[in-house]
Amino acid sequence: MDSALIPRGVKRCPTWQFALWIGAAGAVLLWGVFAMLLCWFKGLNQTNMNDAYGFALWIWADLAVIALGGGAFFTGFLRYIVGKDELKNIINYAVLIGFICYSSALLILAIDIGQPLRGWFIFWHANVHSMLTEVAFCLTCYFGVLTIEYVPLILENRQIDKIPFFHRLGHNMHEIMAVFAATGAFLSFFHQGSLGGVSGVLFGRPFGYREGIFIWPWTFFLYTWSAAACGPCFTILITKITEKITGKKLVKQNVIELLAKISGWMIGTYIIAKIIDTWYWAKVTAPAAGFNLMDFYSNNPFYGIWILVLEIVICGVVPAMILISEKGRKNPAALMTAIILAVLGACVNRWVMVLQVMAVPVLTFENWVMYYPSWQEVATTILPVAYGVILISLSYRYLPIFPQEQELNPEA
Amino acid sequence: MKEEQSKEKVKKFGMVIDLDKCTGCGACMVACMAENNVPFKEDESKKLDSITWLRIYKLTNGKPFPDADICYLPRPCQHCGGKGEHGHSPCVSVCPATATDYSKETGIVSQIYTRCFGCRYCMAACPYHARYFNWWDPVWPDGMEKYLSPNVSVRMRGIVEKCSFCFHRYQLAKDKAYFEGRREIEENEYQTACTQACPAGAIAFGDLNNPKHAVYELKKSSNAFRLLERLQTNPKVYYISGREWVRRAGDNYLKDEKK
Amino acid sequence: MKIDRRCFLSLGIGGAAGLALSPIPWKLADDSAIWTQMWPWTPVPADGETTYVKSACTLCPGGCGISVRKVDNRAVKIEGMEGHPVNDGGICLLGLSGLQLLYGPTRVKTPLKRAGERGEGKWVKITWEEAISEVAKKLGDLRENGESSSVACISGTDKGSVPTLFKRFLSVYGSPNFMRMPSVLDSYELALSLSFGFAAQQGFDLEKADFILSFGSGIIEGWGSPVRMIRAKSSWRESGGKTVQVEPRLSNTAAKSDKWIPINPGTEYALALGLAGVIITKSLYRNDFVKGSTSGFDKFAGLVLSAYTPDAAEKITGIKKETIEALAVDFARAAKPVAICGRGQGRAQGSLGELMAVQALNALVGNINKEGGIFAFPNPGYMAWPDYIADDIAAEGIKKERADGAGSGNFGYAKNLTNRFAETVKSGKAAVNVLFVLESNPLYSLSDTNTVKEAFKKIPFIVSFSSFMDETAINSDLILPNHVYLERYEDVYVATGLSKPVVSLSKPVVSPQFNTKHAGDVVLLIAKEMGSPVADSFPWKSYSACLEEILGGKWDKLVREGFWTDGASSTPVFKTSSGKFEFAGGFIDLAALFAPVNAEGDPKAYPLLLIPYDSMRIASGYIGDPPFAVKTVEDTVLKGKDALVEVNPATARAGGFSEGSYAILKTPKGSAKVKVHLFDGIMPGLVAMPRGLGHTAYDNYLAGKGINVNELIGTVEDPASGLDAAWGIRANLIKA
Ligand SMILES: Nc1nc2c(c(=O)[nH]1)N[C@H]1C(S)=C(S)[C@@H](COP(=O)(O)OP(=O)(O)OC[C@H]3O[C@@H](n4cnc5c(=O)[nH]c(N)nc54)[C@H](O)[C@@H]3O)O[C@H]1N2
Ligand SMILES: Nc1nc2c(c(=O)[nH]1)N[C@H]1C(S)=C(S)[C@@H](COP(=O)(O)OP(=O)(O)OC[C@H]3O[C@H](n4cnc5c(=O)[nH]c(N)nc54)[C@H](O)[C@@H]3O)O[C@H]1N2
Ligand code: SF4
Ligand code: SF4
Ligand code: SF4
Ligand code: SF4
Ligand code: SF4
Ligand SMILES: [Mo]
Repeated sequence: MDSALIPRGVKRCPTWQFALWIGAAGAVLLWGVFAMLLCWFKGLNQTNMNDAYGFALWIWADLAVIALGGGAFFTGFLRYIVGKDELKNIINYAVLIGFICYSSALLILAIDIGQPLRGWFIFWHANVHSMLTEVAFCLTCYFGVLTIEYVPLILENRQIDKIPFFHRLGHNMHEIMAVFAATGAFLSFFHQGSLGGVSGVLFGRPFGYREGIFIWPWTFFLYTWSAAACGPCFTILITKITEKITGKKLVKQNVIELLAKISGWMIGTYIIAKIIDTWYWAKVTAPAAGFNLMDFYSNNPFYGIWILVLEIVICGVVPAMILISEKGRKNPAALMTAIILAVLGACVNRWVMVLQVMAVPVLTFENWVMYYPSWQEVATTILPVAYGVILISLSYRYLPIFPQEQELNPEA
Repeated sequence: MKEEQSKEKVKKFGMVIDLDKCTGCGACMVACMAENNVPFKEDESKKLDSITWLRIYKLTNGKPFPDADICYLPRPCQHCGGKGEHGHSPCVSVCPATATDYSKETGIVSQIYTRCFGCRYCMAACPYHARYFNWWDPVWPDGMEKYLSPNVSVRMRGIVEKCSFCFHRYQLAKDKAYFEGRREIEENEYQTACTQACPAGAIAFGDLNNPKHAVYELKKSSNAFRLLERLQTNPKVYYISGREWVRRAGDNYLKDEKK
Repeated sequence: MKIDRRCFLSLGIGGAAGLALSPIPWKLADDSAIWTQMWPWTPVPADGETTYVKSACTLCPGGCGISVRKVDNRAVKIEGMEGHPVNDGGICLLGLSGLQLLYGPTRVKTPLKRAGERGEGKWVKITWEEAISEVAKKLGDLRENGESSSVACISGTDKGSVPTLFKRFLSVYGSPNFMRMPSVLDSYELALSLSFGFAAQQGFDLEKADFILSFGSGIIEGWGSPVRMIRAKSSWRESGGKTVQVEPRLSNTAAKSDKWIPINPGTEYALALGLAGVIITKSLYRNDFVKGSTSGFDKFAGLVLSAYTPDAAEKITGIKKETIEALAVDFARAAKPVAICGRGQGRAQGSLGELMAVQALNALVGNINKEGGIFAFPNPGYMAWPDYIADDIAAEGIKKERADGAGSGNFGYAKNLTNRFAETVKSGKAAVNVLFVLESNPLYSLSDTNTVKEAFKKIPFIVSFSSFMDETAINSDLILPNHVYLERYEDVYVATGLSKPVVSLSKPVVSPQFNTKHAGDVVLLIAKEMGSPVADSFPWKSYSACLEEILGGKWDKLVREGFWTDGASSTPVFKTSSGKFEFAGGFIDLAALFAPVNAEGDPKAYPLLLIPYDSMRIASGYIGDPPFAVKTVEDTVLKGKDALVEVNPATARAGGFSEGSYAILKTPKGSAKVKVHLFDGIMPGLVAMPRGLGHTAYDNYLAGKGINVNELIGTVEDPASGLDAAWGIRANLIKA
């Protein structure tokens, strides 16, 4: 039925099957949209956020999704700037995943703010001192870049490509993609950093606050570094999942391993920096405010020291060691474990830097505040996942995302 | 002489609250609500979504009967000056839309309700939990909106509000002085609603820079302290207590740390 | 021109780009942002001319002067009146919330007549003419039948012109049954008439005192005139005055005192007598005063030295005898010591013995009728009422025994025993056919609510004058809604312990918001409708004319300045038969006067003790806590609809309770589901619960929240006086 749209030389499932799949994802999407409308029309009382938890699940999801979307800028950076040519075989997918992550982040922000219709004040009345201003500007610009990077891919659709104008447009855009990749890398460096700055500059919140250089707290650099480190792992993870679902090998192992190796070294160096940062914070920054390290990890039902161990050792040191070693990368189970741990590590880091910051009592006569999200928050957070599934499915079906697919699946 | 007159002195409005006088009666809380059109809901027992610009905390010394002791601590916005008095209060510096601002002229941290778009970053930044989000539309029972004051605008859902040091009273006092051909206002011409109401006279308000104002001397008391001074938020609200445990509760200390 | 694909696209893209660059999107965005500021459901207060009106607050017996800010015709803020002798600019949170009562949803907006069953909440609106003629007819019929004394009135206060009009009406009509709500002032009045020898009220020159020994009085929790007391407390901090608080729970007053002495509840009288013993033993009393101006000292000393030695006092009170001795010395050696009593806000009457014991301390240190001491004020007498004419029916009726038994038999001294009223009516000992309820809420405020409810069922016709849909109003047959204090003229006389008499004037700050009528006018109209002879004693054409007449020369000053005060403080006289202060108050058997009052209930079944406590943040009188005030209640007191009771952690542990766990609180009078709040400041074995919660009436901001402690507590009759001497009740906490 839709065969005319499907790229040449590849095999896709029957239309009914595809429709069913999209329908299922669509149902989840609608659930999320319903929750989103509730939040817009009834207000944020639909959430379990409160005056102690002004930032909660959504901001975590935002930060996590942007960190993981970091695969796009870093892979682009490696491909176009550093010149790792093999990565052209995964760059399309990295860009697509990045596009989904960033558009999701923007959508979540539009639900998260109390007055969505005034959201544009952040540009109009910008405060240059605010990390969020920096985030908003860079995020929006980078989303533009990702769109520009994604568009040529759409133009490669069999039918669109037939139109000479689009054919030429697509071709020309490819030619100058390095410029955009460079722009993207530059923007990403700043917005990933300023996201790190969001909690790092909170000098009223000793759990999040970090010293730094000039206006940038150390978390500024750590966020950029960790996004570059863990983002590619997320790209690999999604690629692996796609391969599992489609039942096809889509990207050659050497490409995956190259990305994994780079990622491994990035995680390794990142985690060393993170350990130094944590050490300095625990020994110098926090005590200056009157806090011992264990004040942050005791007397509450959830945030034990385990979470620090999980983030730094289990989801940091361990995946770094696996990915750095050739043996680790070659062992599919070890590789997968490392990839998953790395992704989890980024998520845990963003979680503590958003939610634990809110939970820790600062006034001596206040208590820990615990929080669990309302269904509306969960639904709106799952919404982007469903949206991502749909966009990936459509792109995979109709666009030549994986240059090696034909070669790896010759029988098609 | 002439020069002195033309140069308007930089003011630094602040409070000194005597915790040994404070009875925890709550009059200041309600004075603030009544003065500033603060809304209310059917259930206000969830203190984490209950808007109280001025909140009274009940502190305990943690000792068992009969050595237990309690102390009340009223907490308005601390109007933090930030490190080095540059106006980089925790909240002001983070607001992406410049919806909250530090006045260099008065030291008062403002909140512009119609500018705020409800990102709540300022709430994350404020260690005093002095900022409140309007999770709900403000609703007054039929007829009760008659008592709303035109001096303070009613806030809409989805934005943040906080203690303003009753800024409208400053404006009214300035206007009055202006019409009477005066440049400066007297100490008693600008007093906050909570200060005015407090039956115990526990709250003093005035210009911390002005030796003629009561707060100028009060803040120098050896029993005076500020909340979380170690964070370098530089608050303009001082507290006084003769009790060591109360003063110590004002900040965090490492286990064996001597104050 | 042929529109090809390319052309179409360029037009599309060009159009979009053009639109984006035009002002249209910006204008739309701006409009939408403005719209969020103008949501039609977010009110915009109208501006106008700002004025201030001086008036008086009547929301509690404190009698503060207020200054109400108005914008055009709206009252927008209540503030304390600067220069007022009671509060000088200060104000409490209840007074600040007054506009929520004025404009609130619980106002009764027009006269209502019950349609369904009592308490069902079904009403029909009737006109004032119909309502008044119905009441007048019912009263007329009863009077014809010689049942005039079966008409009763319960009032929040008996001071001031409006209660006096009601009292006068009953007298002229032929009933002795004017009652006011119980409180510790009943004890004070009784004690004063016994030891000073005349009907008086107690004045305390506390600001000038330098050592205040409080037997559980909530100095900063609403005892006396609340704002005045809080101001006094601050003044001691500046003057160096010392306060010692004796009570079983670390109240705010205890926490702010120089010393807190926990005591076994209900044994305060024994501590007072023990202190007296030490003072006498060590000869620390003021000999000149005791010798020259008191009578009965030897008898008193005899009892105290034999039965209340420090050891005996330690055994009863649980306070170490060293502490008792030291306290006695400190108290007696102070220059201007004062001892006060009346637990919390003084809502319970308390035993006469306790009050006499505390008064004895004041007498021993000779701080009576002196600066910085205590006074007995002669009756205010600021009103000049013309005599009334009592016909035969009236003369007959007024001589009948009161429904509450006050003034006759065992209770010859008592003026009001409203606490007994419910019991006598319920048991059929007193027949009441008509009950007027003025500015009080007996169905909620009197102890043992169930008995009060039963009693009310026996009264065929209940008329409420309440401005609000309170519990009593809901359970009445006719509501004749009064203006609230911000809509009416009324004299406000402060009877709660000031050092000089103060009368303020409450003024109509705004015009009446609803179809209400001044209760004073309603009495006049009822009298008029009944015709001669009742009407003859009410010659005024309106309440305000009456007020102006009886206030005479003070009226102008009151209107101008808002208050009137009598500079001359007191008349240092005793009018007892001996002409001196009477330690024994005429009691033959002192041991009977100073008898312990035990809490009701079997200690085996009820191992714990429930004590009520008062808080400035919870109004517990006729006025229900307004929304602002409820908002200030801590979540360790009220959480959602659940009431939390304070329990010592050790007691809680023994019962298997932790912070926030549910429990059934059981007393001989009833049981209620509560939550447990661990509090280190309460003596083990006690359970403390605030007064003022558990309303079933008023609005959703108050109703259904917490438990009314009066439902769980009964009365314990003081054999010496008939007053309600209960200070708590035995209780048990059972796992829920
Ligand atoms: N405005 C205002 N009203 C109040 C209070 C307040 O603070 N302000 N306080 C309230 C409180 S807490 C209390 S306890 C009460 C106390 O109020 P009361 O119990 O009224 O106190 P007393 O001062 O003893 O006043 C008794 C009144 O009865 C009259 N009286 C005295 N002897 C006799 C007599 O033999 N026969 C008759 N017929 N009348 C007599 C006197 O004229 C006097 O006005 O007042 C309450 N009312
Ligand atoms: N905070 C505080 N509480 C006290 C005391 C205290 O000193 N301070 N004293 C205690 C003592 S001694 C006593 S006797 C009791 C009295 O205790 P209750 O008998 O419970 O007194 P209330 O019912 O509060 O009646 C008091 C007032 O309510 C009325 N009132 C107040 N506001 C309005 C209004 O808006 N409209 C109308 N129509 N009437 C209104 C009258 O003015 C009257 O003075 O209170 C006790 N409670
Ligand atoms: S009004 Fe005064 S005494 Fe009462 S709680 Fe506030 S500061 Fe304390
Ligand atoms: S107290 Fe909080 S809201 Fe107020 S100035 Fe300081 S940081 Fe800002
Ligand atoms: S919530 Fe409002 S005031 Fe606070 S940071 Fe965001 S825009 Fe600024
Ligand atoms: S200064 Fe004004 S705004 Fe601030 S707490 Fe006091 S009354 Fe409220
Ligand atoms: S203390 Fe009583 S009289 Fe004074 S303002 Fe408060 S409620 Fe009114
Ligand atoms: Mo009273």
